Amino acid sequence: MRSEYLLVLAIVVLFPLILSFVLDLRLFRRLRSLAGSVLVSTVVYGLWDVIVTSRGHWRFNPEYTLGPALLGLPVEEWLFFVVIGFVSVFTYEAVIKRLPPRS
Amino acid sequence: MKEYTILALGSAAAVTLLDHLLGTKMTHRRSFWITQAIMFLFEIPTNGYLTWRPIVLYNPEMFLNIRLGTIPVEDFFYGYGLITLTLIFWEFFASKRNRTGAGSFS
Repeated sequence: MRSEYLLVLAIVVLFPLILSFVLDLRLFRRLRSLAGSVLVSTVVYGLWDVIVTSRGHWRFNPEYTLGPALLGLPVEEWLFFVVIGFVSVFTYEAVIKRLPPRS
Repeated sequence: MKEYTILALGSAAAVTLLDHLLGTKMTHRRSFWITQAIMFLFEIPTNGYLTWRPIVLYNPEMFLNIRLGTIPVEDFFYGYGLITLTLIFWEFFASKRNRTGAGSFS
């Protein structure tokens, strides 16, 4: 199924997205910090990905990707950085919120 | 040494250095390491699926071919760097907005 990579990303982001509202983490109230930090890692790791994909470090299975690509990477791969960036920030803020303060 | 191996280890070291240079001190925080542990645990089923299917295919000439299940060990250093870089800038942008001071006024 060609939507499989996209589906994996959707599953990965679903519960953190819901939980960020359940836990009242207010990540989207800090949209500029959120977007900024996700953008930095997407640009840095995306650039790395573009270079090493062209050098043959890895390739993406056309059976499980939709087809559209940007700079040689499937759109799903770009979305991967956005998803992992968001999930990282979510996890970190959830940990801070749930962690008892150190005495 | 293989290219991906060098890049994975080098990037993990580079972001850790950046953390010190920017003064964000993520690696000094308990919450940061708990986050890394949680992300590591979730990486096993998700990246495990991506590499088992395989949705992403790795070139054996570029990495050590030592795998945890189907996941190349390099991926864990890659993941550490990606997560850390994001959190460094999350804290960096937040601190520029006086996030730490905001609590005392609200």
